[in-house]
Amino acid sequence: MKTDLHICHLYSDLLNLYGDRGNILALIYRAGLRGIDVRVTSLTIGEEFDGDHYDIVFFGGGQDAEQNIIRRDLVRNKGDAVKAAIEKGKIFLCVCGGYQMMGKYYEEFDGNRIECLAALDVYTVAQKKRLIGNTVYRSDLSEKSAAQGCFEPGKLYGFENHSGRTFLGDGVKPLAKVLTGAGNNGEDGTEGAVYRGVYCTYSHGSLLPKNPAMTDVLLEKAMKQRFGDDYQLAPVSCEIENIARRQRETCKKGLTNP
Amino acid sequence: MKSMRTGTALAAAGAIRFVLRFLGKGATTLPGKIALRISPSFLEEVSRGQNVIMVTGTNGKTTTTHMITEILRKAGYSVGTNVSGANLASGLATTFAEHTEKARRATKKGIPIAYVLETDEAAFAVTAGKINPHVCVVTNLFRDQLDRFGELLYTRSCIEKGLDATGAKILLNADDSMISALRIGREERTEFFGLDEGHMSRNNVTNAEEQGVLSASSDAEYCLKCKKKFEYSARSFGHFGVYFCPSCGDKRQEPNYSAYLSGRTDPSTSGSPMFLTHGDETVETTLSIPGTHNVYNSAAAVGACRIFGREVGDGNLSLSFCAEALSSVRPAFGRTEKISVGNKSFCILLVKNPVGLDRALTHVSEAVDTGGLYLLLNSNIADGTDVSWIWDVDFESRKYPEKTYVSGERFAEMLLRLVYSRAAPKNIRHEEMKRSEALFEEALAACPEGKCLYVLPNYTAMLSLRKYLVRRFHLKNYWK
Ligand SMILES: [Zn+2]
Repeated sequence: MKTDLHICHLYSDLLNLYGDRGNILALIYRAGLRGIDVRVTSLTIGEEFDGDHYDIVFFGGGQDAEQNIIRRDLVRNKGDAVKAAIEKGKIFLCVCGGYQMMGKYYEEFDGNRIECLAALDVYTVAQKKRLIGNTVYRSDLSEKSAAQGCFEPGKLYGFENHSGRTFLGDGVKPLAKVLTGAGNNGEDGTEGAVYRGVYCTYSHGSLLPKNPAMTDVLLEKAMKQRFGDDYQLAPVSCEIENIARRQRETCKKGLTNP
Repeated sequence: MKSMRTGTALAAAGAIRFVLRFLGKGATTLPGKIALRISPSFLEEVSRGQNVIMVTGTNGKTTTTHMITEILRKAGYSVGTNVSGANLASGLATTFAEHTEKARRATKKGIPIAYVLETDEAAFAVTAGKINPHVCVVTNLFRDQLDRFGELLYTRSCIEKGLDATGAKILLNADDSMISALRIGREERTEFFGLDEGHMSRNNVTNAEEQGVLSASSDAEYCLKCKKKFEYSARSFGHFGVYFCPSCGDKRQEPNYSAYLSGRTDPSTSGSPMFLTHGDETVETTLSIPGTHNVYNSAAAVGACRIFGREVGDGNLSLSFCAEALSSVRPAFGRTEKISVGNKSFCILLVKNPVGLDRALTHVSEAVDTGGLYLLLNSNIADGTDVSWIWDVDFESRKYPEKTYVSGERFAEMLLRLVYSRAAPKNIRHEEMKRSEALFEEALAACPEGKCLYVLPNYTAMLSLRKYLVRRFHLKNYWK
């Protein structure tokens, strides 16, 4: 049976700064290994969002100036439809700025609060010092996945670059525990957030390419949405990804720059 | 008059340079670092009354600086320049210190002196006011080293700060909306360079449809002022083009200095016919360093020399003179350098940010002589520790040679990028950085006769490979 998967790339023309599209390329690649074709639709400001069209929604990060334009559009024009899609259990992957905008508010340096979508029970407070560096997290999310022979599947490798500190409310769970790096806020040892099918992280760029087990979890969940809970993703090896996972340099020290 | 401190600083810098050279080391930053420590006002004093052109921006600094230098040398100037890309304050100070003695001798003979300084954007903010040049050239603004600068607009604010610290004439890239907007409030001292509109591609406002799955990234799709999406009537590459904001009416300025290549040419051949225009005058020359980005660099270099000539009253720097001088410029350090080995050759293209890698992959895809591709990725401080930018580059819609190789400290990330593109060949050979030289030899040996191995390293990977190649092929050392 030839199947296809539909990914929505939110604001791809504005949020394209930190290699976040690597995550979509990973979904396309590993879906392709199973004979699943992936279609990607870019949605930008002023365009209507209809969650029923999509299996996975990707929402990346960008620069502050651009995020301000987006926030308005998200909250006013797409907000209700996005929230409805979340309640239906659609899969979302939100990175950095996208993560923050799904939360309740973003508090600027001067204490000014910017209202966000409030789809997730999290909030973010800006701080001057940017948290930048390679990261390693522990997560049980991907321990049982169709990624066969994944080197240390319980570890996620990433790269963070953010000045916002995010704190989780009662309604959400962290995505992972920080082993190296700062994570959500540099204080409580948590990284990212999960609520229903929404997966949020501060890890930019090549999060999914470096974490094939997580890619497969998202793919399988998306396919279950479409074809029912019995659907199982065919096991596929991660030989190439393991080269990156084994290379110590890719996960060396989480640097913090001024 | 120079102060005693600066005199001492000059002497110290000279002595350090002598020792480093004696030890066979490049002396591109240390003498200047010491000089600045001895005399904090070193740059102000040594640059006072001098003829100076500063070049800043994300990409093309080195080549533009190199082109300006060659034109001025042909025009009879004794030029001090930081050829090796030592472009922080310490590198600029080294350049002045190094050239002092030559300048003294030249002055005696009545030879004019000029300094052409490639300047890092953050360093530009703090040095432009001290050096107070005649001309500032701003090449472009692309994402680069975001782990260092944080955001693009921060980089832009550095350039802005530098421009406001001087009364210098300003030459801006007309096709780059973010750079062109720097004219505002500085109109009376600003001119523009750009690509000839008639020779840009039409109607490719976004490449989304052509590229199948994902649109390529662009750095400036929206108007800085009113956040509305630009409309383009023509585009060259990246976010460069003839843009128009439907909201505030901001638009691409007509360039005072423009250039274009005639016809479609194979990027691997140098010497394509190029036309340069200033006002009503158009002259023909050849582009000796291939690539559209070098057409921009040429227009910038010619514009800078023309403005400089006007400012210092040098009538020799005419459009035809500059064009003629440009035709014999050889590539700068690591920028499309082609080195012959028997019947084959290798060519180094430095790739330090997304647009650089995009241009290099275009070159490798289009060149008819491609006989191999060797990518090297490091992540030292000078490279930027974040390598995720490679995921923003379009690897998907490229043609790859059958033989493709990867190395560098982050070779695995590059390997993944190639594999995930689903366009690269199977069986990509990969080795760790410590085996990168052996892999180069393997790649060169496998390159067919008459073909060229294209080597695409990022900054520190290039420095290390270059060191090996200098020994292996007896190349000229770059700091000479
Ligand atoms: Zn506007």
